[in-house]
Amino acid sequence: MGAAIPTIAEAARQIAAKELSPVELTRACLDRVHALDNKLHAFIHLTEERALADARAAEAAIMAGGPSGPLHGIPIGLKDIVDTRGIPTTCQSKLLHDNIPDTDATCAARLAAAGTVLIGKTTTHEFADGGPSFDLPRPPARNPWNTGHFTAGSSSGTGAGVAAGMILCGIGTDTGGSIRGPAALCGIAGLKPTYGLVSRAGVAPAAFTLDHIGPMAWTAEDCAIMLQALAGHDPRDPASADRAVPDYTRALGGGIKGVRIGVIHHFHETDHKVSDGTQRGITAAIATFRELGAEIREVQLSPLQDWAACGSLISITERAAAYEEWARTRLADFGERVRSRLMLGAFVSGVDYVQAVRRRRELRAELKAAMADLDIVLTAVQPGEAPKIDAVPKWDVFQQPSFMMPFNVAGYPAMSICSGYGEGGLPVAIQLVGKPFQEATVLRIADAFEKATPFRDRRPGIA
Amino acid sequence: MPTRITDDAFEFLIARAGLTLTDAEKAELKTVCDGIAAMAERVRKPRGIMAEPALTYGFAEEDL
Repeated sequence: MGAAIPTIAEAARQIAAKELSPVELTRACLDRVHALDNKLHAFIHLTEERALADARAAEAAIMAGGPSGPLHGIPIGLKDIVDTRGIPTTCQSKLLHDNIPDTDATCAARLAAAGTVLIGKTTTHEFADGGPSFDLPRPPARNPWNTGHFTAGSSSGTGAGVAAGMILCGIGTDTGGSIRGPAALCGIAGLKPTYGLVSRAGVAPAAFTLDHIGPMAWTAEDCAIMLQALAGHDPRDPASADRAVPDYTRALGGGIKGVRIGVIHHFHETDHKVSDGTQRGITAAIATFRELGAEIREVQLSPLQDWAACGSLISITERAAAYEEWARTRLADFGERVRSRLMLGAFVSGVDYVQAVRRRRELRAELKAAMADLDIVLTAVQPGEAPKIDAVPKWDVFQQPSFMMPFNVAGYPAMSICSGYGEGGLPVAIQLVGKPFQEATVLRIADAFEKATPFRDRRPGIA
Repeated sequence: MPTRITDDAFEFLIARAGLTLTDAEKAELKTVCDGIAAMAERVRKPRGIMAEPALTYGFAEEDL
């Protein structure tokens, strides 16, 4: 059954050879949605009619002149904090239950221009925060590998949808791990690009200086294809980087002999010890990289708790500022978890925030120095396999320092890829972190790992 | 360790933020205030008056 779900790269080759129809591919995805989404809740809003119309238009254009690119006719999902013109964008919140934007977010427009087919708006935690929550307009997404377990979030529906083959890829957003977390627990690939590489315009903010938009797909190669369409300067986003965009897919397949990888052992072995399954995945991944010719070193950074404190203070404050008006006037309309997190803003002073931003500069400089003679660094993504969906602590920000937040603080590109399967057959993952704007290197190393290991051959049984 | 927040200070900060909370919400929030204070302590390092904050948006040349 898993073989019936193509990657973007496979589907693009078949579409270009006229062996696969975008309409058939879209119907197959919609069939999976209809069969599975009552269990997975990956979608908040389906755009079935538009999807079929777009697929038919793509098919006609491809038959007439060939595909415009590898995303032409590819079914996708957009996280429901991404504005879509004429299509409800609720942010999974009562506050925006009737919101229909009149413009597309830049990322949505770029994917549409690349010829993608929008299957629907994927489930998110409310305003990309908190979760899992059971008091929101729609239920939380569930993990396709075991529906009793959490997907992580907040790009939960995109993670579940890609893993289950309902979509071939989708947009995630990442303020402290919301692309990489669900990618890890759902066993897919997810890339948080360098801050500023992908426009945030038209995407509801979580924390302005930590927010990143990026691709989630089954493979690193597919993330590269998506990133090619997404990256590039956008005057609508004041943080957008005005730099040339490299060819991300051309860098793939060249091997990784001589690549220098630094392992931040203390993050996942001491500062926040990971599960046995996750550690086995990391250890085996390091061995694989060695076999592929990479040079492995050890890296020492400030304790994970320092990075987490810095990122959390910035995140709490910027979120509280963004949502202050609603917090003051409509606090009860938020779900319980976001409501509680918004309250935290009252306890961070202006001086605390500036000290956190000064610390941020120090930490970023520290990471830069540590990576001076390295191509990437490696650590965990999640502390373990997906927890049960009803056993996720509300205040985990204080209990479990995140492995992902350091790279939102730094703004460096960071990617989660599947490194095997742990307890209960649930996926485990590794995180690969590159230097600013060196996504091509991260993707090349991730792609080499995926092609040297069997983990991309296995889909969740439910799919 | 930072000093535990007093009830008066807690009420002042909630009022200053313009939030209207139930007693249950206040009670729960008090259990995590220490966590915020601990984070605020953790970002304070000896750095002198000249230490700049990170750029709000993007990377300076020194970062690349």
